[in-house]
Amino acid sequence: MAKRHVIVGGGTAGWNAISTIREIDKGESEIVLVSDENPYSRMVLPYYLSQEIGESHVYTASETQLGKLNVETRLGRRATTLNPDNNRLVLDNGDEIDYDNLLIATGSSPVRAPVPGADGGDVHSFWTLGQAREVTAGLKPGSQVAMIGAGFISFTILNALIKRGVELTIIEIAPRILPRMVDDEGAAIVQGWLEERGIKIMAGVEVTSIEDVSGGGKTVKLKSGADVDADLVIMATGIKTNLEWLEGSGIEVNQGVLVNDHLRSSESNVYAAGDVAEGPDLLSDGKVVHAIEPTAMQHGRVVGANMAGVDTAFEGSLLMNIVDVLDLEIASFGRWDDEELEVVRVVKADRPAYRKLLFEEGRLVGAILLGRTRDIWATNDVGMIKGLVQSKCDLSEWKAHLKKNPFDIKRAYLAAGAAGNLIPQTLLGRPSV
Amino acid sequence: MKALKIVPENCTGCMRCELACSYMQTGTFQPSKSVIRVSAFETHTSYSPYTCPQCDEGWCMTACPVEAINISGVGAKNVVSDICVGCKLCTISCPYGTIFYDPDLHKAFKCDLCSGSPACVEVCPRDAILYEEAEVTDWVGPFATERSKGPGGLLTVRAN
Repeated sequence: MAKRHVIVGGGTAGWNAISTIREIDKGESEIVLVSDENPYSRMVLPYYLSQEIGESHVYTASETQLGKLNVETRLGRRATTLNPDNNRLVLDNGDEIDYDNLLIATGSSPVRAPVPGADGGDVHSFWTLGQAREVTAGLKPGSQVAMIGAGFISFTILNALIKRGVELTIIEIAPRILPRMVDDEGAAIVQGWLEERGIKIMAGVEVTSIEDVSGGGKTVKLKSGADVDADLVIMATGIKTNLEWLEGSGIEVNQGVLVNDHLRSSESNVYAAGDVAEGPDLLSDGKVVHAIEPTAMQHGRVVGANMAGVDTAFEGSLLMNIVDVLDLEIASFGRWDDEELEVVRVVKADRPAYRKLLFEEGRLVGAILLGRTRDIWATNDVGMIKGLVQSKCDLSEWKAHLKKNPFDIKRAYLAAGAAGNLIPQTLLGRPSV
Repeated sequence: MKALKIVPENCTGCMRCELACSYMQTGTFQPSKSVIRVSAFETHTSYSPYTCPQCDEGWCMTACPVEAINISGVGAKNVVSDICVGCKLCTISCPYGTIFYDPDLHKAFKCDLCSGSPACVEVCPRDAILYEEAEVTDWVGPFATERSKGPGGLLTVRAN
């Protein structure tokens, strides 16, 4: 009898698992997709907000496509209970689905700051397509927008908000903006750049409540006593993994579902991938949740291969992010915030350019790059920095040179033979299709 | 499958490949928009072009959240500009530094082997870039290592 693979969650991890299973088995097995939304890519929602693309562009797979791939869909449904003892999944409508293999790819959800009014009208998250629709519809040129939270998610939509002609105030509780993506030096440059371009930034401030204003609009009240008036509030104050439904299942969880190098949980036929998984880390022996799109994609593909019977180990995920705001490029890799490493940093005084490289013995294990978009893409060594971290190649002979010349990555990359280390590497042990 | 084979020893640093490439890719003669790049190894007055190896993994292709990168008929990983939204995930995923971003168009772009007749090969006066049946390999690394080390190189060789 054909095996039945049940995929819970239709985001990047789930979709990549499905397409990889089908690459391998050409439609032989049964696949059931349980997802409360139609599969789409969260990564492109900012371009939907800026109205550069239409809604059809955000979907990764239509129901027709899934049908062609012989995938049975349970869209609009949520999984509520997992019983690994009898390999059974229960849905919110009471349906039961038996499985041979199951993938937990339920992702994460936005968390709102625990303040009165956080769930009031005109206060939005920007995480799901539904929320993106609401924000997109709620904006008018000249709208005053208060963005609570200055992390990666906020920053991915800054350009879109500016393009839509809004007046923007960013409110962050941490002492600096982008606290999980750049350090103090980097944050100061980004903040200066944005302020010069008319964006108001308040960091190190605490929101006490969000209130309705009589006659329309909102006021964000701060502990300092200052108020921020807004037509619309966007709350991007972090995410949490969607684990609650696994309570009582016996599946081992920590920050996420704990998985081994094959992305199997404590139950060998139950896998986890993406934001909800706590799996191998490329740069340590520990396990990590890397709630980023590239990790979800890689996890999904590795799980798909294993589910389809091709034994595939995963070396580990690498933390990386890139975002540009008003033509300032910001990227960070790996252990960029580990000050116990050997750190070299250079700030160019004459233009916004900052670079930080972090070494552990002879290896590059982290970096921050910041600069004007035009400068960054003329140099174009962003990928090479990633390649040096990923390949773990020996830079001991180059370290002294790079510490003096942190912008001369390319020569070290070429001479250290990074490309030669990388060329044999593939995620699934074969060429991608 | 034919591939770009780089012969660094033959490169004179004339940059004709960069000019031809940027013209083919973006319609302007602008080395900063070329997807083949010539590196100088100053201490040796040596040069070498470097470009996308069209790797088996296709890190750029698998990273793309909207499937804007596919494999063309000549085996190149190819960005479909109309589908690309400019999110740059490909640029941080490619470990070779050979996917590029056009700040004017807000799109990614890369070597597409000029659909099978690479302009860089056509204009190279010294056969430093060839287009022939060849394995995917690091053509530049060993040369760059050799030109960086030893007497007169950028790096001093340690006594051991």
